[in-house]
Amino acid sequence: MTSILIKALKSIYISVPSQNAKFATSAICSNTLSITNKEWKYPPTFTKPREVWIENLDTIEEKKLGLFELHPTVYGATPRIDIIHRNVIWQRKYRWVSWAHTKTRAEVRGGGRKPWPQKGLGKARHGSIRSPLFRGGGVIHGPRAGNTHFFMLPFHLRLYGLTSTLSAKLAQDDLHVVKDLDIPSDNSEYLAELILSRNWGPSVLIVDDTDYAPRNITVATGNLPHVNLMPVYGLNVYSMLKHDTLILTQSAAEKIEDRILQLLHSDTRKQQAKFKLDQV
Amino acid sequence: MATVWRSQSAFARIFAGKSGLILNNTADLGAKLNPASISTLKKHYSNYAHSPFVRKIQEQYEFEIIKNPPEWEYVQRLLPFESIPKITPKAAYPSGWIPQKEEASNLPYFIERNKNQDLSIYLDISYRGMRKISKIKKIEGDIWLMNDDVKDFLKKRYKRYIETRVHELGKFIEVKGDYVNALNEWAYSKGF
Amino acid sequence: MGSRQITEKALTMLRSLPRVSLGNIRDNPGYKKNPKRGRGQHGGDKHGAGNKGSGQRQNYMRLGYETGNNPFYLRMPHEHYYKGHHLRRQYPPFSLHELQLIIDKDRLDISKPIDIASIVKSGMYNFTPDEKHFGINLTDVGADCFAAKINIEVQWASEQVIAAIEKMGGVITTAYYDPHSLYLLRDPKKFFESGQSIPRRMIPPPDAIEYYTSAKSRGYLADPEEISKDRLRLAQKYGYELHVLEDDPNYEMLCERKDPRQIFYGLEPGWVINLKDQCILKPKDSELQRFFAS
Repeated sequence: MTSILIKALKSIYISVPSQNAKFATSAICSNTLSITNKEWKYPPTFTKPREVWIENLDTIEEKKLGLFELHPTVYGATPRIDIIHRNVIWQRKYRWVSWAHTKTRAEVRGGGRKPWPQKGLGKARHGSIRSPLFRGGGVIHGPRAGNTHFFMLPFHLRLYGLTSTLSAKLAQDDLHVVKDLDIPSDNSEYLAELILSRNWGPSVLIVDDTDYAPRNITVATGNLPHVNLMPVYGLNVYSMLKHDTLILTQSAAEKIEDRILQLLHSDTRKQQAKFKLDQV
Repeated sequence: MATVWRSQSAFARIFAGKSGLILNNTADLGAKLNPASISTLKKHYSNYAHSPFVRKIQEQYEFEIIKNPPEWEYVQRLLPFESIPKITPKAAYPSGWIPQKEEASNLPYFIERNKNQDLSIYLDISYRGMRKISKIKKIEGDIWLMNDDVKDFLKKRYKRYIETRVHELGKFIEVKGDYVNALNEWAYSKGF
Repeated sequence: MGSRQITEKALTMLRSLPRVSLGNIRDNPGYKKNPKRGRGQHGGDKHGAGNKGSGQRQNYMRLGYETGNNPFYLRMPHEHYYKGHHLRRQYPPFSLHELQLIIDKDRLDISKPIDIASIVKSGMYNFTPDEKHFGINLTDVGADCFAAKINIEVQWASEQVIAAIEKMGGVITTAYYDPHSLYLLRDPKKFFESGQSIPRRMIPPPDAIEYYTSAKSRGYLADPEEISKDRLRLAQKYGYELHVLEDDPNYEMLCERKDPRQIFYGLEPGWVINLKDQCILKPKDSELQRFFAS
């Protein structure tokens, strides 16, 4: 019974916003579109730049404020799922210290005395009741605490992880560019309704180029655990995949693009060198 | 003498018999440190942690500070490039290397240059030099058409069939055998 | 799907697939190799490494070592040129072709005098002073195609190289730098950020004095008169017409040289470079001035 209900609810949830989305796309206000021709620092050679709408956050229904070009090297790269996967594994592992711990035969309490004489009893010879052969004895080659799993992914894999994820997100319509983060009220219901009506999936990651977000959006996202704010310098593969939709402000999208392109077109021997713990 | 010191400080006890070895410290050992004596007398402390903070350092040497000096141009010359410099077109390139041409992007396929502006054509030697494979990387566009063109070119040049392998998702073509120079020539002729 | 663009095709395919998320990504098959070997047909064997010793422990002895024998390379007592080979100065090679290549790629500004700092800055050459590398050995590979008029300072050059550069109207100097100066030249920014004053360049060690004072190798300590005589001699030997430096429009650039005590062009020993405030600190104290001038 409950499963039928859930299914019915799901179908409603899926069908309603899609109608809304259709409505929104048909109602483009064509007069105020701002189409900017970009001055490329590293012009795309063969592949065409990818075009995105600049959207708004100040009304619940979607308005298209302009058309914006993104560099294909960053937002239209080959979506290498394997590189994305290695980035996720790296992000999970570099901060993981495993505290699983077992005691060796020396550390288990007791077992100092020879349990029975060496000879004459017809039993197997033993020197300690905490030998690994005994129940309650020590463990051989068991996990020892404080085992770090830290490693560093090669520099360019980290870079291509970002471009692959951004490209995959954009290709699947999960990346939206907004003009700014100004919303009319600090009510989190407004934001929830906006996300629902635009079919942005429940969880949303909003990325701005500064680490000072406007007050309204900070308060509104405070109550929503699945809507998160992040500055550009915090952008990473794991968070992008964890959230269904990625919202970039226009300046953030530009900043990400500039930074990645700059790194792809400069001498990175220092970044590529073997990681040393004291290098930072 | 030694007994007196031993009673005053534990630190002195260690060096009681060896005062000759630590000449600078001998005067300090028994005396208590008071701030007044620090500022007036020049002392050498054996231990960094126990020495007091230096309050005012008089600069030993005087430097003339010149802002926006004319020599700054020489300093800028030494600083590393922010990004790899762009290539300005020249009449001739004596080294044999040719930059990518504009018309290359009009073809249905394309080979991207790497950030050092070199062609991404490499030779892969394995099995102790027994297997040589030339690899064209960073291909964009119609890779199958490019494969046909490359095969045609090599066949005309070497008058025999040459095996190739296309990896579409990896964006590369492998040619069996060492044809790096021929492939470079072909790529340059196409403008890549 | 009609597109034959590779990336475009991949991205269009993604549109019809479920959302890429933490739950549905995986690595390429066969990416990870199991470090352990199972109990197969040869499970209990030595895995081809033999029994015990060097083979099993992967203990590769140093080149030429013959497990205690008098090694082959030391058996001939008259091969004196091996003596002290591990202590000698090394000059990692850099060819004229590579030099031409970085000029073509605009990595090197030939309107300014070139030294090891600008060549390392180009990103195409590197060396490690702690491995007894004492700078650039400019080799004659690509001497035929070399076509740039430059004022270059290297640490070692052969006669052909000198001829190839002077043929194009350029100037070459060979100069010695002690390892400490080479560290500064390799990464000047790091040194400037350290806030130390630029040290003096040391004079060459006794066995290098001859090379760096001879006009034939265009040493930086050689007599300029002798050098101009030798330029003419080399032009006659290799059969090219010697350019007259005095008539050259870039005469000033071509004649720019470092002082034998100087490490960077235009910056004197004793100065402190402040990159943040863009200012230079010059010592006023007479004692310091005397020290750095000596």
